[in-house]
Amino acid sequence: MSLSPVLLAGFVLRPLPPVLLQPALDLAMSLMRRRHSDVFERLDTLENASFLIDPVDLPFCFALRLGPPAPRLSAVGTADDMESPSAALRGPLLVLIRLLEGRMDGDAAFFSRDLAVEGDMEAVLTLRNAVDSGGIDLAEDLLSLFGPLNGPARRALGVAEALFARAERDLETVRAAFVAPVEGRCDTQTARLRDLEDNLADLRTRMPRANVSGTRAAKHGAARL
Amino acid sequence: MSRTPLELVCPAGTPGALRAAVDAGADVVYLGFRDETNARNFPGLNFSRPELRDGLAYAHERGCRIYVAVNTFATAGNPGPWHRAVDDAAELGADALILADIGLLDYARRRHPETRRHLSVQASASNPTAIAYYHETFGVQRVVLPRVLTVTEIARLNAQIPVETEVFAFGGMCVMAEGRCALSAYATGRSPNMNGVCSPASHVRYEQGVGGMVSRLGRFTINEFPDGEPAGYPTLCKGRFVTGGCAGYLFEEPTSLDASAVLSELMAAGVRALKIEGRQRGRAYIAEVVAAFRRAVDAAARGDPVPPLGLGGMTEGLRKTTGAYTKTWR
Amino acid sequence: MTPAAKLTLGPVLYNWPAEVKRDFYFRIADEAAVDVVYLGEVVCSKRSSFFGPYVPEVAERLARAGKDVVHSTLALIMNEREMETVRALAAAPDLRVEANDISGAALLAGRPHVIGPFVNVYNEGTLEVLVRGGADRIVLPCELPVGSLEVLGRAAGGAELELQVFGRLPLALSARCYHARAHDVHKDGCRYVCEEDPDGMALETLDGDGFLAVNGTQTLSHTLCCLLRELEALRDLGIGCFRLWPQSVDMVAVAGIFRGVLDGRDDPAEAEARLGELVDIAPFSNGFYHGREGAVLVAGGTFSPAG
Repeated sequence: MSLSPVLLAGFVLRPLPPVLLQPALDLAMSLMRRRHSDVFERLDTLENASFLIDPVDLPFCFALRLGPPAPRLSAVGTADDMESPSAALRGPLLVLIRLLEGRMDGDAAFFSRDLAVEGDMEAVLTLRNAVDSGGIDLAEDLLSLFGPLNGPARRALGVAEALFARAERDLETVRAAFVAPVEGRCDTQTARLRDLEDNLADLRTRMPRANVSGTRAAKHGAARL
Repeated sequence: MSRTPLELVCPAGTPGALRAAVDAGADVVYLGFRDETNARNFPGLNFSRPELRDGLAYAHERGCRIYVAVNTFATAGNPGPWHRAVDDAAELGADALILADIGLLDYARRRHPETRRHLSVQASASNPTAIAYYHETFGVQRVVLPRVLTVTEIARLNAQIPVETEVFAFGGMCVMAEGRCALSAYATGRSPNMNGVCSPASHVRYEQGVGGMVSRLGRFTINEFPDGEPAGYPTLCKGRFVTGGCAGYLFEEPTSLDASAVLSELMAAGVRALKIEGRQRGRAYIAEVVAAFRRAVDAAARGDPVPPLGLGGMTEGLRKTTGAYTKTWR
Repeated sequence: MTPAAKLTLGPVLYNWPAEVKRDFYFRIADEAAVDVVYLGEVVCSKRSSFFGPYVPEVAERLARAGKDVVHSTLALIMNEREMETVRALAAAPDLRVEANDISGAALLAGRPHVIGPFVNVYNEGTLEVLVRGGADRIVLPCELPVGSLEVLGRAAGGAELELQVFGRLPLALSARCYHARAHDVHKDGCRYVCEEDPDGMALETLDGDGFLAVNGTQTLSHTLCCLLRELEALRDLGIGCFRLWPQSVDMVAVAGIFRGVLDGRDDPAEAEARLGELVDIAPFSNGFYHGREGAVLVAGGTFSPAG
């Protein structure tokens, strides 16, 4: 959830002013809150906690603030741009994504030093356990945007389409930015990248269908109006 | 010759982990409620009543059982949460209760005689007389053995007791006798026995120092990991301390138990079930460890050698040990 | 009102040489203002044989001096030989025994006995079961906060409750011997290296802060529990017996200080100051009683870090 925009960010990795990411981040948060309400229920106890999420191989960080009125995610230039977060999590983008999706065990990532944590550990554990409970699957979650369309998803469609359209080009940027250096060392990461590529290919092939049904749904919606 | 496989008892801290364990081949999933009534009372972890109900349905549909751990010691004057945990688990149809507190065992025996009672490792029943007491007084049908016994001692014990035994096979390891350790309470005021936490996250700080990452618990420094060195939990008994002028891991290195090497021996010793530790771990851990032990347990039942499990990446400090099962550990 | 408070001397937890221990108990018999003395090896069965031969003589001398003698069992019983030592104590009908493992309580069922602090009694439900089994005195775990003590005090009925008020806090037990590990010897060939540390082996953090004390397979606190200022409140809660764990200090003088406060002769704060001069091996703590981390010393609603 908190990290899902990391993936989105991967799609738009070319140096962008963080502020331009905000629509995508807002979209990701609303999507996660809708599809994974149980995750947010487990975060209830945290109230006003805030997290700095630092993909060490990206040129910017994320700030996750849980306080009311609703959890909000934003991009910040550097760690110093976020005022006294409750805790900070640092690791390579792929590690963060795999943690988010429950494909990697957080403790194992910590033991191997792939994940570094600082600050309020209770908040970190709560976040980790909540995220891990959720069965988050980014590809599935993003695809849900193109399912039977409801209001928020329809409004978001334009943003998402733009993101997916750039995906192929940006994937190469992702590789160049952080995968290439570790490629030789870590086959599993490259395998995971291939998974990502497959997912994206899959997305691309399904996009037109989704679009068609989206258009149809939009039309039906319009007709009802 | 093929024998009945050891029952594989697997942890779950969330509904996602429960499904992962069931799907990976667990015979049993054990879990706790989201409060201080169980020994993994960690933030954001464990089950609500509706989640237990759904989990029971998911498991039972797939031929898997659920044990509910209510294995801390009830607070004097406030037994309500513990009694409710026992009542709700029994009424929702849990296949067994895992209990440690004598008062609570007595309550469960009186109120829910039909629900199986297992003795938690937290009760530290390490000899036949203690086990017979729990069996005769509270009708306990299985004992989770403390992680202090060698395989030889376990075999001798099994020959003398009228109940099943379950032993730990993998995961985090107390080096102290379970249920008899107040180290965490001494440093943080939060106790495994009373609060269900050990070295709680609320009291842990990690700081990046010049030499590496420093972990602190309360106001005590527990360890310092030079950059690049594998890390462990900030639990007291896995800390680096100074005795006699030398700094080192006096109690235990950051390491995890892995009993796969002695699986056949444990089977021959009459053990009924294997327990995997890690209700606080993620779904990825559960899926991988459970699947590996499924293969191991089935191999052992066929009389085949247990294949290497390849779980090194899941272990604390990226190291493993057969712990107390081998006498030299002591 | 409340019956007269008893001062008790817990079993020596450390591996003192047998003759030292014998002489220690002779002096306790002759001079110490304690009512009850617990004897026996609680921590490591390998040590039992040393002091064993002196036990009858010591017990007799203590009894002659008017002390109630209680024989304490091992706390962690892992093999037949260890079980046998408990069985032998339980089989002697005229001995009063403290069970430090539930197996001891099982063997003593139906006759009066003491439940030691290594059996987990955290609540009234457990207390009732054990009292039903014949326990007439229960030594409570050291980590209980005052709220729990209050409830247990009300629930005890006819049974006496005992709580540690002096000495290092016994925090953990293990199958593994850390003294042997620190000296790089096997537990089976340990050469009894634990004998070198009469108050346990100091264990410090990497920053050099005193933290714990190692006693073979047992781990204790660095700080010394001191509940002199809490004695009166404890008596009001229904705690009747107050345990002093032996340390290698003048325990006769320690007992005298506690006796003075229990009898209402001495001011607790002044007594604590005197105790501090007498006992300089480590700072005092009382955090557990106050529901805090055990390592701290809480004074009049505030606290200061000890250690």
